[in-house]
Amino acid sequence: MLNSDYAKIEDIMAKFKFRKVLGKVLLYILTIFIIIVIIFPFYWLVTTSIKYGIDISATPPIIFPNRFTLENYITVFNSHIGKYILNSFIVSISTTFLAVLFGSLASYSLSKTYIGSKIRNAFLIGVLIVRIFPPVVTTMPYYLIITKFGLYDTQVSMIITYVAYSIPFVMWLMLGFFQELPSEIDRAALVDGCNLWQRFTKITLPLALPGIAVTAIFAYIMAWNEFLYASVLTSQNAKTLPVLIASYISDQRIQFGPMTATGVLLVIPVLLFSILAQKYLVRGLTFGAVKG
Amino acid sequence: MKNKINNVNLSKTKNVLTVDYKKDKIILWLFLSPAFIFILFANIYPICYTIFMSFFKYNKIIPGTVPVFIGISNYINIFKDVVIRESFLKTVYFVAATVIVEFIIGMLLALLITVNLKAMQYLRGFFLIPLMMTPVVAGTLWRTMFDPMSGPINYFIKLFGFQNIDFLGNASRALPSIMVVEIWQATPVVMFILAAGIQALPIDIYKAADVDGASKWQIFTKITLPLLKPVFFVALLLRIMDAFKVFDTIYTMTYGGPGRATELISMLIYKQGLKYFDIGKASTLSVMFLIIIFLISINFLRNIQKKEL
Repeated sequence: MLNSDYAKIEDIMAKFKFRKVLGKVLLYILTIFIIIVIIFPFYWLVTTSIKYGIDISATPPIIFPNRFTLENYITVFNSHIGKYILNSFIVSISTTFLAVLFGSLASYSLSKTYIGSKIRNAFLIGVLIVRIFPPVVTTMPYYLIITKFGLYDTQVSMIITYVAYSIPFVMWLMLGFFQELPSEIDRAALVDGCNLWQRFTKITLPLALPGIAVTAIFAYIMAWNEFLYASVLTSQNAKTLPVLIASYISDQRIQFGPMTATGVLLVIPVLLFSILAQKYLVRGLTFGAVKG
Repeated sequence: MKNKINNVNLSKTKNVLTVDYKKDKIILWLFLSPAFIFILFANIYPICYTIFMSFFKYNKIIPGTVPVFIGISNYINIFKDVVIRESFLKTVYFVAATVIVEFIIGMLLALLITVNLKAMQYLRGFFLIPLMMTPVVAGTLWRTMFDPMSGPINYFIKLFGFQNIDFLGNASRALPSIMVVEIWQATPVVMFILAAGIQALPIDIYKAADVDGASKWQIFTKITLPLLKPVFFVALLLRIMDAFKVFDTIYTMTYGGPGRATELISMLIYKQGLKYFDIGKASTLSVMFLIIIFLISINFLRNIQKKEL
């Protein structure tokens, strides 16, 4: 090749390298920007909860506080938050247990093709419909029915409502998980003479355990975070944490201190757990969308 | 001799093992029943009740009233009502705007993740934060941040030399502010789904395109995007449905205000039914809402079905 060709090639490679470096710098800036956008609100939540009341309503706002206090948390704990935490916990755990139990059993049935395709399709469409519609629509009937049965402001009514709300979601997820399991082992067991119950408990369940774990995590978080039904169907006894947070906003003023403190208490367990169970969560989130 | 191990029989006529599914079917139906009962009583029944009540005039705020059958008058009144029409428009605007922005940003982030896998492994946990944060907490938190006096957002705005902005008290800025919060919370889902979709694409096509000398833009538009269509549409459907459901953030940030600026359909149904106790009207609104959502999702599902073929 001629010298001029070599020069041209070097020129192109130099430009290419510059582009690469520029690209990488932009990437780093973008990443930092993303981290700020995501982390700053959380930072603000935590710092506000440990600021003095005067500092919270300071103008201009104190971005980097230099004095901390636990007074907001003390206020919060003095107002019976223990009961509300317990309510949230009991309702969430019970909902998760029942919803995952009923939903998984039902999904297992639906994943077996010999149950009859018409019934199967009807069920699947029904599940899809229920998953799609907004909860506002059923709040009013729930309120009327539950007050009629005298179950207003009880944990039982919350659990029933939440289980009904979660079952379609659980079925949606678990159906995918069951369909993903290899059918050869199941068939081999069938030929060997195992009946359905044995196949279910000894083969399918152990294999589906990660799927059940993911579904349970999501169901728990959904129940823990739920607000609409809780605010409508509870008053004093069965009130859950999200309702408590919203109650700090009134027409006159917003009690930022106790509100953020309760928010931290509500959110920290979920976030800690999410970070620990990252892989499972991302898997569950993308599950319905990507096949194979 | 007949070998009978549970349901597996050795057929006498042909030399074949047959399986008797009868006992299995009973157990499978048993498995289905609890979920079935729950869905029937706690989901289907309330919806039927709502549809039924939408044909009545029933205002529970006056004690002792009885539902009065008025046929489709409720529906006719709704079509005439300007407030409701505007609420529908605002809801559609909200859903469209948030979904579009979420998908643009989500797509960019998804591309970033798939390009730079290792770094993003560490960031994955961070992306879950907006997603998993309780909507009520997110709503109250951002309300704190948007505060004109003591909120950090205005602080930074002033740092750059601009004037104080009242986000939530201003009728034209309130809805976009809520959209920001919704986008903040929902974009990670879109990102994760699109990223998973991109990672599932076959790598051979990319190699072939590289050899053929395609530019990055060409690769993106002519290979990635078309192949991503099924995943894209599923994610789109899910996000649109979820955007229609938004309630907690609106409730905690503006409660429909200022005035009616942020009164989306979900807020309207809530107020009619549980604040004014006008059950007839709320039921009618709910039915209309359901019909719209149903139509949109059927349209989408048809599109997805076609694409898969």
